[in-house]
Amino acid sequence: MISRPIRFVAVAAALGLLAAGCSSNSGGSTTTSAGTPTGTISVWARDAEKDFMGKLVEQYNSTHQVQAQLTIIPSANFVQKLGTAAAAGNGPDVTSLDLVFAPYFASTGVLEDISDVYNALPYKDQLVPGHVAQSTWDGKTYALPFTGDASVLFYNKDLFKKAGLDPNKPPTTWAEIRADAKKITAIGSGTYGFTFAGACGGCNVFEFTPYIWGSGGQVLSKDGKKAMLDSPQVTDALQFYRDMQTDGSIPSAAETDSGNQQVPLFTSGKVGMTALGAFAIPSFDSAKLNYAAAPLPGKDSGTASFAGGDVISVINGTKNRAGAVDFVKWATDTQAQTWLAKNGSAPIRKDLLDSVYATQGQSYAMVAKGLEMGQVPFSVVENAIFNDNNGPWVKMIHDSVFTGNIQAAQATAQSAAQKLIDQA
Amino acid sequence: MSTHTASLNQSRQVSGRRRSRTFGLNRRRQILGALFTLPTAAMITIFFLVPLGMTFWMSFYRWPLLGQHKWIGLENYSAALNDPNFIQALKFTLEYTVIITPILLVLGFGLAALVQRGDTPSRFFQSVYFMPVAIGLASASFLWLFMAQSQIGPLWDLMHWLGLIGSKSNLFAGHWSSLMVVNAMVAWKVVGLQMLLLLSGLQSIPVEVIEAARVDGASGWQRLWHITVPLLRPTLALVLVFSVAGSLLAFDQFYIMTSGGPSNSTISVVYSIYRYSFIQFKLGYGAALSVLLMVILAIVSAVQMLLLRNTDHN
Amino acid sequence: MISDIRRSLPRAAWWTLNVALTVLFLSPLVVMLSMAFKSSGDQGHIPPTLLPQHPTWHNFVKLTSVQGLNIFHNLLNSVMVSVSATLLVVLFASMAGYGIARTKFPGAGIVFFVALASFMIPFQAILTPLYMLLKNMGLNDSLVGLTLVYVTFNLPFALFIMRNAFASVPQALEEAARIDGCGTIRAIVQIMLPIVKPGLITASLMTFFNTWNEFFAALILVTSQEKFTLPVTLTMVASGSFGQIDWGSLQAGVALTIIPCIVVYLLLQRYYVSGMLSGALK
Repeated sequence: MISRPIRFVAVAAALGLLAAGCSSNSGGSTTTSAGTPTGTISVWARDAEKDFMGKLVEQYNSTHQVQAQLTIIPSANFVQKLGTAAAAGNGPDVTSLDLVFAPYFASTGVLEDISDVYNALPYKDQLVPGHVAQSTWDGKTYALPFTGDASVLFYNKDLFKKAGLDPNKPPTTWAEIRADAKKITAIGSGTYGFTFAGACGGCNVFEFTPYIWGSGGQVLSKDGKKAMLDSPQVTDALQFYRDMQTDGSIPSAAETDSGNQQVPLFTSGKVGMTALGAFAIPSFDSAKLNYAAAPLPGKDSGTASFAGGDVISVINGTKNRAGAVDFVKWATDTQAQTWLAKNGSAPIRKDLLDSVYATQGQSYAMVAKGLEMGQVPFSVVENAIFNDNNGPWVKMIHDSVFTGNIQAAQATAQSAAQKLIDQA
Repeated sequence: MSTHTASLNQSRQVSGRRRSRTFGLNRRRQILGALFTLPTAAMITIFFLVPLGMTFWMSFYRWPLLGQHKWIGLENYSAALNDPNFIQALKFTLEYTVIITPILLVLGFGLAALVQRGDTPSRFFQSVYFMPVAIGLASASFLWLFMAQSQIGPLWDLMHWLGLIGSKSNLFAGHWSSLMVVNAMVAWKVVGLQMLLLLSGLQSIPVEVIEAARVDGASGWQRLWHITVPLLRPTLALVLVFSVAGSLLAFDQFYIMTSGGPSNSTISVVYSIYRYSFIQFKLGYGAALSVLLMVILAIVSAVQMLLLRNTDHN
Repeated sequence: MISDIRRSLPRAAWWTLNVALTVLFLSPLVVMLSMAFKSSGDQGHIPPTLLPQHPTWHNFVKLTSVQGLNIFHNLLNSVMVSVSATLLVVLFASMAGYGIARTKFPGAGIVFFVALASFMIPFQAILTPLYMLLKNMGLNDSLVGLTLVYVTFNLPFALFIMRNAFASVPQALEEAARIDGCGTIRAIVQIMLPIVKPGLITASLMTFFNTWNEFFAALILVTSQEKFTLPVTLTMVASGSFGQIDWGSLQAGVALTIIPCIVVYLLLQRYYVSGMLSGALK
């Protein structure tokens, strides 16, 4: 597993740190007599994080006595995998998980209560509120924020110019988005003003809910016990998308897009605007697109965003709590978060967001703003309602936009969602 | 007299010994046979009978994957009968079955009629038509998923070239076009088996019967309907029962090609069970749905056998 | 009917129809192969060309690291599972087939009946508790668990074949062997096995195809991607993360999954066909 020379170096480094007065952890049985965590831990992460997780874990291993072994799980079956493994008792020690799933796993006892760790963090108040809210269950903390992303409106500056729009003045209301989309579509030759993923639940909870939030609405009550999919702000937002569809501003690929068309469509330079997150920025850059980002607006004013990314947890029943906690703490600390800021994830601390992340470019600054004020729908059945591609959320959006029966679609979705909540 | 009795006794003793020896051998063989059968019996008991029992048992519980299970009696069943998702899945599965079954039957029959000559070219063609049966339904689904893709899929391209669809058409965006693509794939993959079964049925019809009818002046269609089809009845019954059962249990093609879409309109019953059990982790409810599925399957198969096995014709 | 066709369909028409159908039936496979070998440049062609203009192995190479997986590793998984399941099924079914057909021990009839009855019950309906059972046995997410499940699914049909095969061995043969001094086991192996060989081949083929191509159980019972069998691995190739689906790689993966089946089919058609037929004649 870990080769001998590296282990030797790790031990030497750890001893060196120990001599320098490195703090030890409380609890757990695998610590040295001086209290430093040792042993190995298994760490799971989603494949969306595979580009940076490996190197992050390497950094940890080279500077700590605890050795972490990483396993990457495909996002598509992450919930299944974690659920099954937890039920069978062979889960990992630490897992990074999409923050929307944290309430479910916390409520079913899969995650370990780490309130003690959270409360002891010196930078506790700098952690982005969206992530913290998701990590809290029944007054206790079950996860720490780990990676960040936020939804913003990306737009193609070249297409804006071609359509006679000012590339430095992105739209700030829905009416403006609609009008701009129309103008861009009018350019012709296969150009469209706007696109979204019409068959992807998770994409739309990321990119569509901000419109509703920005207009002062909600999709769920704050405690997650009441579905609010039939509220007027949702109606307006659906109507907004529907209008763009009837205008012809949306490409036909959107209707069956389960998440893999949005980015290629935008990078092909044929689509004027789309809501995405920072994860797409590298694709835009390698396609040498002339783009910029703007906040997602509410109907007539205001802005909102979805605070996305992962939180990181210790799994209940871990045999190396000290080691797991050590890793989890390190993951939120300055070194790791600063490195992440430059390597594929927005940091989840406001101080670092402003100082390290936002300074990388205009889009990054927009994402940073979005993350700081971002929200997340809180629910133990978030997966079943929102992320599930066959769930009521995406069906409501799809049917509203492509068949136009908004009221009916909302009513169906509302009752289905409420039923899922009640039967949880 | 004593010698007679003595010799009688002797022969009794001798035959008694012989009998007990073969009896002993037989017993040994039976024990061996039973031991030989043990692995099979064990496997079927552990991995089939036990789960079967568990399906019934779990269906009376609220059984989340993570957490405690709780007895709720028939609640899962009453919920299922009022569950719009499950009802919709049932309706769709029936719709799918009703459409694909005659297609497969007619095509299978046509192919069988075509290759029944049995000479070498016939056997070659028969082999070609049967080949897709050997590949997996999942592989075939992935293959046709590509073939039907807008712009880049050859099937889409062909339909576009024939003027059947517009250049902005997306075959997977509509319920009927999606279903048609799936049906085309299933037909391609499965029809060879129907052809084979019908062929063996056809080849067992005595030629003389058909000839006699022809000589009697019956037309081609009359011969088909009044002689061939009735004589094929047992084979047809078999083909239909298997075909319908397979369609009622469809999963792979919908999961892979349409992902249940558009808008959940192509979710089959097994797909629905999959979602409840393995995505929402509601194992008790999934078990109840499984029981309902088995009941439906049994009823449908029984009805078919009753209707078709009825051989009270002359 | 038979002579009708011969009469009403002149040879030319018969040949035309069959050739056309052959083209129709083989075209998806041609498409698959063609796409599997198309370079990215070729793939971008709209409308798609029939054959690749610059054929390349690149799609297959890409499959060696799709989302952290090497598909050839999964190919090995499929091979291991299918071969093990086939061997076990043939072994168990032969043993039981002999036991039931030739020794007629008390209860043999019941075992046979239960096995056949289980053939009528869809495995999809018992997968939910099977999943739980494997978990309780510590066999969840394991290829061993999957193999055991596959063995059980395929035993009934294989048992049916082997029992019939053994039952058709003339009693006299076995008697003669015994008189000649063969022990029971030797009698089976040396005398009867060659006779039931076609049954063995058929049972092996059916099991192999069923396990190689099986999707639903493999999807549910194995959740670690490095343990996936081929069909489930294809779902990962087809999911494409945030980028577009790589159709060339997907078709290359499909090719890897399909070609072994076709090769085995072409080599052992006779047995496969007879296997399907005997299933029907139940």
